[in-house]
Amino acid sequence: MTAPAIAALLDPFTPFAVPFMARPLLLLLALAVAAGTVGVLVHLRRLEFSADGLTHAVFPGLAIGAVLGGATGLLPGAIGAALVAAVVLALIARRGQPRDTAVAIVLTSFFSLGVVLVSATEGIAGSLSDFFFGRLLTITWGDLWIALVLIAVGVALVAATARAQLFAAFDAAGARRAGLPVLGLEMVGTVAVALVVVAASASVGTLLALAVVIVPAAAARAVTRSLRAVIVVAILFGAVTGWLGLWLVVQLAELGLDAAPGATVALTMIAGYLLALAAGAVRGPARRPASLAVARTR
Amino acid sequence: MSTSTGAIVEIADAAFGYGAAPVLTDVSFEVLPGEAVALIGPNGAGKSTLLAGLLGLAEHDARVFRVPTGRGEIGSLPQSSEIDPAFPVTLEQVVSMGRTPRLGLRWPGGADRRIVADALEAVGLSAQRRTRFGDLSGGQRQRGLLARALASQPRLLLLDEPFNGLDQGSREALLDTVRALKARGVALIITTHDLELARAVCDRTLLVDQRQIAFDETGCVLTLERVEAAFASHVMEIDGHTLATTEHHEAEHSQRHQHLLQAEHGLDRRDAR
Repeated sequence: MTAPAIAALLDPFTPFAVPFMARPLLLLLALAVAAGTVGVLVHLRRLEFSADGLTHAVFPGLAIGAVLGGATGLLPGAIGAALVAAVVLALIARRGQPRDTAVAIVLTSFFSLGVVLVSATEGIAGSLSDFFFGRLLTITWGDLWIALVLIAVGVALVAATARAQLFAAFDAAGARRAGLPVLGLEMVGTVAVALVVVAASASVGTLLALAVVIVPAAAARAVTRSLRAVIVVAILFGAVTGWLGLWLVVQLAELGLDAAPGATVALTMIAGYLLALAAGAVRGPARRPASLAVARTR
Repeated sequence: MSTSTGAIVEIADAAFGYGAAPVLTDVSFEVLPGEAVALIGPNGAGKSTLLAGLLGLAEHDARVFRVPTGRGEIGSLPQSSEIDPAFPVTLEQVVSMGRTPRLGLRWPGGADRRIVADALEAVGLSAQRRTRFGDLSGGQRQRGLLARALASQPRLLLLDEPFNGLDQGSREALLDTVRALKARGVALIITTHDLELARAVCDRTLLVDQRQIAFDETGCVLTLERVEAAFASHVMEIDGHTLATTEHHEAEHSQRHQHLLQAEHGLDRRDAR
């Protein structure tokens, strides 16, 4: 191991002094905040598959953006596709289709459209790979600011509707009876997820964006019992594992291993999740049985 | 919203359903402030559909249809709720959800916290406010959901089979809560299979079986003939009178009905089978 590598090992802050490492760290810290708000909402409403559908649904947007604007058109295209998919998803579910069916329809139809667009247009496949697999270490200040704005809007949407979202997540039928606009809340939540997914796509890629959004909340649920603790732990988990993942990328590079940064961060988060599961199991058996009818024996 | 008669609910010549043929027809009744109306009928009679219609969640066709329309003015306790017991919320947080329709996007203040505390006290669960909702007993959860409905300060409260599955202590606590709400001027509609409880707290009774059979003072409605008309699919004999009920109803409630009818008419019940 070289002297700089040892120094970096002893001082894990050193690698982030250079801008090309500071930018991805900033983005991952912002995504940690999103994981503690938008991600917790996804987890509480059990919308993980919907979020996965949205990550695939951005594909045709990327293709259209690339055709119209080259590399600079990718992000606007992804945002547009994600927003359209979010609304379509909520509307299909509203028309009586089971949520998983709606997600499968949106996922496959949008992804197929993307494949058709890419196959019919020469020269854009290469520029799309960045979005699929991420470009964590080459992200520019411009990309970073756009991602931060997307995250801020997504978090703000969830924060502004937090109490109603919590009601709908806890008891959707009760929220409907209380006169809350459950469909509207679902659309707001899905749009927030879509914005964060697009922002995450810039760092870890669309295929792994789900990990950054979902895993911190899932890990927090494994070791906490109160809502406030879930939010705080999810943010801390996202921040620490994001930082550790980046640090690991540097260490692997020092060892001559050119590991994909986005996937390394995602794997670090998964490792942290497994540790959280183990910690939760040690503290007590997981208490997440199937939903129970409240207090009724008919 | 008040009507010219002061009634909180005023329904005339109404039908309720979900698109195709109506589930419940010929419905006319009113509920005054501080009044509890029992909604009684066999399974499938349309009771839950009527409540859903009042909430705007089922379709209705009516000559007169007046219900409170303001945010949070109608509270409800459903027959059953699919709730994840591991959901990370305390009882107090669940009750606070009841303020959401009133607050919109505003953040709750001191007055809202006092209302939540009052709602918890009304159902006798102040000491459990910090307990995780999923850790409460079944009866406590049900009372917690009632407190959530109370936290919206409703003018009309719809309780769908609120006494099912409750132990004696919880039943008494719920009856006391209903009486306290009536004293505060809240109008209530309570569906129940328990005629004894209907008599205990309900001033008037709406008897239905896919159509309205009667609406009048509880003592006048719960006569042998009218109960027979409502629960008419399984035949049993009561001391010379033929009383019909569903098989499910008989199994679940025959003991209570026997007791009630004995008290009212001095009748002995013998199954016809």
